[in-house]
Amino acid sequence: METIIRAENLTKTFGELAAVKGISFEIREGECFGFLGPNGAGKTTTVRMIHCVSPITSGTILVDGLTANVDNRKIKAMTGVIPQEITLDNDLTVFENMMVFSKFFDIPRREARKRTVELIAFVELEAKRDNKISELSTGMKRRLLVARALLNKPALIIADEPTTGLDPQARHLIWQRLRLLKNQGTTLILTTQYMEEAQQLCDRLVVMYEGKILKEGSPRQLIDDEIGREVVEIRIAAEEDPRLIAELGPFAHGHERAGDTLFFYCRDGRGIQKKLIELDLPNTVHRPATLEDVFLKLTGRSLIE
Amino acid sequence: MMNLSRRSFLVFYRNLVSYKRFVIPTLVGSLVQPVFYLVTFGIGMGAYMGEFGGKTYLLFLVPGVLISSVMMSATFECLYGAFVKMIHEKLYDSLIATPVSAEDAVFGDILWGAFRGLISGGLMMAVAFFMGVFPVSLPAGLLLGLLMVLIGIMFGALAMIVTSYAPNFDFFNYYTELVVTPMLFFSGVFFPLDNFPAWMKTLAQFMPLTHAVEISRAVYSGVYPKSVIFNLAFILALTAIVLVFGLGRMKKRLIK
Repeated sequence: METIIRAENLTKTFGELAAVKGISFEIREGECFGFLGPNGAGKTTTVRMIHCVSPITSGTILVDGLTANVDNRKIKAMTGVIPQEITLDNDLTVFENMMVFSKFFDIPRREARKRTVELIAFVELEAKRDNKISELSTGMKRRLLVARALLNKPALIIADEPTTGLDPQARHLIWQRLRLLKNQGTTLILTTQYMEEAQQLCDRLVVMYEGKILKEGSPRQLIDDEIGREVVEIRIAAEEDPRLIAELGPFAHGHERAGDTLFFYCRDGRGIQKKLIELDLPNTVHRPATLEDVFLKLTGRSLIE
Repeated sequence: MMNLSRRSFLVFYRNLVSYKRFVIPTLVGSLVQPVFYLVTFGIGMGAYMGEFGGKTYLLFLVPGVLISSVMMSATFECLYGAFVKMIHEKLYDSLIATPVSAEDAVFGDILWGAFRGLISGGLMMAVAFFMGVFPVSLPAGLLLGLLMVLIGIMFGALAMIVTSYAPNFDFFNYYTELVVTPMLFFSGVFFPLDNFPAWMKTLAQFMPLTHAVEISRAVYSGVYPKSVIFNLAFILALTAIVLVFGLGRMKKRLIK
């Protein structure tokens, strides 16, 4: 696959604060690439630099051969942005929102009308066509943001936490639509703090923390490398740690204490399973490893504020 | 570095589409105020004032009030209107994610402010028309339209500078109470500046409204004193400066 985005030594500072600290990454054409990280990790700042609404402090980004910060209008013309915040035009109806927005991309009126009708159907908002934005639910607003981002038939879609605050139905609908677009060959960039979302959508991802990239890879590969296949959680007082680590440690390749819970990470859970039954501990959970474990291991299990 | 394009007019168009929902209330608002000024000052007070250098008071008053209504409309649109779009509705954020640049978006809204000013001024002219006051000729009337757009752009851009610094709505009070309102009373809109002390006359020369009113009066009456050139130069220079500065400031605020 061809590289569509190449970022080198990308840095962004706001006065004293360094939000992004010299990161480099490559995004391939047609893949879904995720930026994972807690609040303030620099994900949104990074994608804002990609689609040219935030000037780059230093470093470079090439988007499909175009230089960010220089060819801004061209990059924006080929990009669809699903923003984190709901930035719909409250004074206009659903239909008008789409039609007015298509003007900004120089889409001829007849074509704009055609795409608007198609896209409103694509996000299942036909019934709300002539409603004002204030009459929509949050889920509907987010769906309209997806439709709006597709008006210019973008080669690149940037979805910045696209499902924040949605109920499961609305969330799944948005995931399905994004997967559909990816299957049609669109490159997708996703920022999220929902691990399930990243696991559902991303081919490759980076975990960001404090403006740096901690790890890069596919979700499966990251889980395997960092955690293994399975996780055992034991809710028990910390005094028991030495004893449990001596007993269970040989079956795991890592352990971690966080709050009231002791975690063991293992590649093969059968050994530890047997031992657990022997020890007959209350309050244990034995489950497959997830991206969330990777995330928490890398960025720390304590609260980030 | 300015990055202005024809896309400003697309932003203007967006405002036009949304305006159709507010057109009646804003027209009523724009109409009531001028009628109020003209009736109270023009007819009520004018009755006691006799002639003003060979003109009726109403003839003196109309060109001034017309230009101040342009100032008011453009100013409020670019203060409150722009602030709501920037902070509450995040409209600029969605605009600048398209090929529309920050400068396009802001200039489109300044043009919009000027258009709102033109509507207010135009209504004012129509009301004055029914009271028997009109520009000296049809071309003069059209020239007034152009003047209103220019003055609207100037005050719109000035207001954008204020908006670019504003942390909240209350901040606008400094500008409206300390700059706009004094300007309304010390720019020779309601009475000539002749009887003011010298320092006040000098101060008035620094107020853009003073110059705008002078030009408006000249165009209305068809009598152009030599000083009109100076008035126009002042307005053009100030418009250019505040436009460049206002667009630059707003860009800094919008693109971080």
